[in-house]
Amino acid sequence: MEVTQLRRTPRLTVALVLASAVVLSGCTATNNGNEPGGTTVLKVAASAAVTTWNPVTSFSTEALYMGNVYETLIWRNPDGAAEEFTPGLAETWAASSDGLTWTFDIREGATFHDGEPVNAEAVKLSIEAAKAKGGASFIWAPLESIEATDEYTAVFHLSYAAPLDLIAASTYGSWIVSPKALAAADADENYFEEGKDAGSGPFTVDSYTPGSSVVLKRYDDYWNKDALPYYSIVDIAITPDAVTSQQMLTSGEVDLATNIPLANVKTVADSIGAEVRTSNSPFNFVALFNTTRPPLDDPMVRQALSYAVPYDDIIDVGAQGYGTQSRAAVPKGIFPYSDDVPVYTQDLDKARDLLAQAGHEGGGFDLVLTYASENSAEANFVPLIKDAFAQIGVDVEVRGELFNQQWENAKADPASAQDIFVLYYWPTYSDAGADNLWSLFHSSEAPFFNLSYWKNAQFDTMIDDAAVLSGSDRAAAQAKYIEAMNLLVDQAPAIFLYDTQAILVSPPDLNVGQFNENYPFTTFFAPITPAS
Amino acid sequence: MTSASGVPPLAAFVPLGERPFTRIRRVLARDPMAMVGVAIVVLVLVLALFGQWIAPYPEQGLGSPRPSLRGLAPGAEYLFGTDQLGRDVLSRIIMGARPALLISVFVVLLAMVIGIPLGAIAGYRGGWVDQVLMRVTEVFQSFPPLLLAMVTVAILGPSLVNAGIALAVSWWPWYARLVRAEAQSLRGRPFVEAARAIGVPTWRIIPRHILRNSLTPILVQATVDIGSVVLAAGALAFIGLGAQPPEPDWGLMVAEGRGLIFTQWWISTFPGLALFVTVLGFNLIGDSLRDIFDPRSVKR
Amino acid sequence: MTLFLLKRVGTSAIVLFSLSVIVFLLTRLIPSNPAVIYAGPKARPEELARVTAELGLDQPLYLQFFRYLGGLVTGDWGNSLATKRPVLDELALRTPATLELLAVAMLFALVVGVILGVIAARRPGRILDMVIRFLSIGGVSMPAFWLGLLLQVFFVGALGILPATGQFSTEIKYLSPITSVTGFPLLDSLLTGNWVAYSDGLAHVILPALTLAAYPLGLIARMTRASMLDVAEQDFVFTARAYGLREGLIRWKLALRNALPPTMTIVGLAAAYTLTGTFYVEIVFNWPGIGQFAAGAMLAVDYPAIVAITMLSAAGYLVANLVVDIVQARLDPRARLS
Repeated sequence: MEVTQLRRTPRLTVALVLASAVVLSGCTATNNGNEPGGTTVLKVAASAAVTTWNPVTSFSTEALYMGNVYETLIWRNPDGAAEEFTPGLAETWAASSDGLTWTFDIREGATFHDGEPVNAEAVKLSIEAAKAKGGASFIWAPLESIEATDEYTAVFHLSYAAPLDLIAASTYGSWIVSPKALAAADADENYFEEGKDAGSGPFTVDSYTPGSSVVLKRYDDYWNKDALPYYSIVDIAITPDAVTSQQMLTSGEVDLATNIPLANVKTVADSIGAEVRTSNSPFNFVALFNTTRPPLDDPMVRQALSYAVPYDDIIDVGAQGYGTQSRAAVPKGIFPYSDDVPVYTQDLDKARDLLAQAGHEGGGFDLVLTYASENSAEANFVPLIKDAFAQIGVDVEVRGELFNQQWENAKADPASAQDIFVLYYWPTYSDAGADNLWSLFHSSEAPFFNLSYWKNAQFDTMIDDAAVLSGSDRAAAQAKYIEAMNLLVDQAPAIFLYDTQAILVSPPDLNVGQFNENYPFTTFFAPITPAS
Repeated sequence: MTSASGVPPLAAFVPLGERPFTRIRRVLARDPMAMVGVAIVVLVLVLALFGQWIAPYPEQGLGSPRPSLRGLAPGAEYLFGTDQLGRDVLSRIIMGARPALLISVFVVLLAMVIGIPLGAIAGYRGGWVDQVLMRVTEVFQSFPPLLLAMVTVAILGPSLVNAGIALAVSWWPWYARLVRAEAQSLRGRPFVEAARAIGVPTWRIIPRHILRNSLTPILVQATVDIGSVVLAAGALAFIGLGAQPPEPDWGLMVAEGRGLIFTQWWISTFPGLALFVTVLGFNLIGDSLRDIFDPRSVKR
Repeated sequence: MTLFLLKRVGTSAIVLFSLSVIVFLLTRLIPSNPAVIYAGPKARPEELARVTAELGLDQPLYLQFFRYLGGLVTGDWGNSLATKRPVLDELALRTPATLELLAVAMLFALVVGVILGVIAARRPGRILDMVIRFLSIGGVSMPAFWLGLLLQVFFVGALGILPATGQFSTEIKYLSPITSVTGFPLLDSLLTGNWVAYSDGLAHVILPALTLAAYPLGLIARMTRASMLDVAEQDFVFTARAYGLREGLIRWKLALRNALPPTMTIVGLAAAYTLTGTFYVEIVFNWPGIGQFAAGAMLAVDYPAIVAITMLSAAGYLVANLVVDIVQARLDPRARLS
């Protein structure tokens, strides 16, 4: 099979179509090619469906479009950048020393796409709407009130210290929206749904065909002239099926595809001469032990099992190698991640020793493991866990269930629930202390995501303290979190499997900006330019 | 499908008294294409029964990944290549024969268990019992084929067993209708009337006279159906509504290799071929049997 | 005739009602909570409670049933859990693409199937008959999703003469947009003389239609052969032959005309099989139709969408069968009695 041919042929078809268009359609003036100064079109295949166009309630895959159309007060930069944040609609910001009062100076001269000015009042109304009825309203829980002290100053008062900069940079529930549109949406809940937008970002929604395409148009009055998009039109084909978007990319039907089956990434990149770029992502896999009953209530048994897991093979099989071993459930690059947190490496002898010490010479017990059957990565790597545990005499029964079912069963009654729960997780905004560590391991009355059902007072205190510190002193908070993570690894209420990497197949004829793990559902189109 | 296309009951053309298997064997031996079908089915049966001794890497066939062997092209070591998790495709195909056949036999048996008694009672009793039961089968048959099965799996949760249950739920009406037609035509036969006259109770007449004499058409139908069920289960798995990874299911394997079809073509191609050939085998046999029992082609 | 019609329509209505009951009961068997699917896994308990109330899931079952029935009748079929838009809108958007694909596939299957059937019936048992028999059984045994991949490998990968996926090239929307007349894009491009779009659409429809046609083609060829053999034995054929009419004329006009009605009875069933075939064929070819949407809805347990798809396709199937019955009744008065 000649792979390069794949790419050439449909181009030929297009050329033919073009030629015949010239011949046949002398009367219809539809040709608007990429002549300079004219329309420049970027064609993209993306899986992101739109569940709502309302930026306030948005809490799903439409973040792809939201991030290009709306702006936050500040943007969180990817790990490794010189600065932690980039100013967005706020030019400068500062927190009081107790972390309870945050002041944002709003940029002058920015306008929403409907012509309204961006000012402190718009910020106040947007965030209040997000706190009242946002899909991710809980991220604003620490917020008590917002004050627009003058036209361009917004002051946030918190009821307890929290890292408001991280919250304000969230990919959900933090978009600043035109007050006119907010009012219209209050009157008519479907106001946005035809594909209306009221953001201030570099693109506006030009047209929307549900389930098929979203066309974004450059917003020529965008305040940041340095970041004005090169492409005047971004035409996104909504392509839920990864294999299809792969085919569209290889056949040249689109210039860029955001989801390509992991197993095929290398092949695809080779076939079109593209570069495969990997970066951090906020997604990771954990396998939570049911700590409520023997033998898994014994930390030594959990440690033994943690030593038995073939981490590298799991990354090879689950992520086709595009992953790194997790450190205590905090994804690489997301606060409070630290390279200092230890990891387990596979050591079957040590695992057997520990089992013997714990009174389980040669294993001899059975465990039930559940995973989400719709998650193909889990389906692929779970047999490796089974094989590995078999080698230390522990028999695993593997059950694939739809995630919702798996989760319902796990929440119902810990005493009769599964022994191991394989979970794919990511923080809502870039604070894995307040989210991952708290949600997965802080004790609680009724289980929600803490499906280890683990109760450890020492750990609870540590992360509660760290959370308060994170509002005022990020470094101190991180130190506290590292302590908590060390405890977590030692007590091993879960196996920390791997953090996935974001993959970008960067075509040879495009310059695509860096992926930002803080906005994992968004591909930013504004920085994309042709390669030469 | 036989019963849907308005073909008269098969019993009318089966000489009574001859043992069904003898009859079927005689019919098949005359048709070379049916013999090809028999050969295929025997091969698949052998694979299903002895797969773990035939497969070169049985444990990989059952799903254990081998990360270092991903995507090897067909060659001497791996005849059909390896898949994206480094598993030997040939072994997986061989290990897939058993679940494929098991699920089909399960579906057909379950469909029979539901459909045959209902059909026999409806056909033998007639009257309002017949009316009610036939309306019920009509409702089930007014779903486009496979759709009811898909909905049922979607709701029960996708797995091979649930796919089996779902397929049986949508398959039983065919047996009910088939047996009903047979029962209706047998009801008036002298030996049945005689039995009734001397006071043999219904619950004994139905198995002894009605069912026993409908055995041949039921067996013919079952043969055709096993092929169709293998195909249907494969289609469900392809969509994601059947067997789940890492099970060695042919339809699922086609789905797994779909994205690599232009480069690592062997991952999808061979399992699809196995599915096709197996279904073809059953259909060749079924077609031959139907051809001879069906009045339309008697005059060939 | 009127009585017959009324009776058939009446039964269909009863069947449709029973269907709606079955579908309702099935969706209440869903083990996972639909509100969770709707609100997303990270929704807080308060949000979940709100959605539960919004979907009416907190009411007793019989009230839910009445609400559901009322909705069915008034056209309020609920919102898709996945896209949050009315399911009927979602389906309306995708129906033309699927119907066009189905029509092309069925047309192809009918024409080729009938021709093959007639040829096979000419000399039953000979080599040509055997070959056609093998082909038609092959067609019926073919996993369509696999055939689609093979066709892609051959026509797209190796020959490079056809597009792999989609309904139209993306360029069409800019170069030669289709003016909507009937809402069926391929037909519209033909009607408006938009040859650029038409040829592009035609190139896109070939492979999925071929894939989809394999099953009905096999079925129709087998059925045509059988009824041709049946007809060949009838008196009028002997008479025609005695009068010295040309064999071709007898076969392709006289006999075929009489052999077609029985073939037609199977076309409804074949079309229904083809409809479910779109579930996987549309996935393989990224055809923007109902099938792909339906498969997605089933995987995501999007129950309002599942209900709508089931009810609509069952209703379509019923209507198709009804039409076949009525046509048959017109052709053959005896059919009205049974």
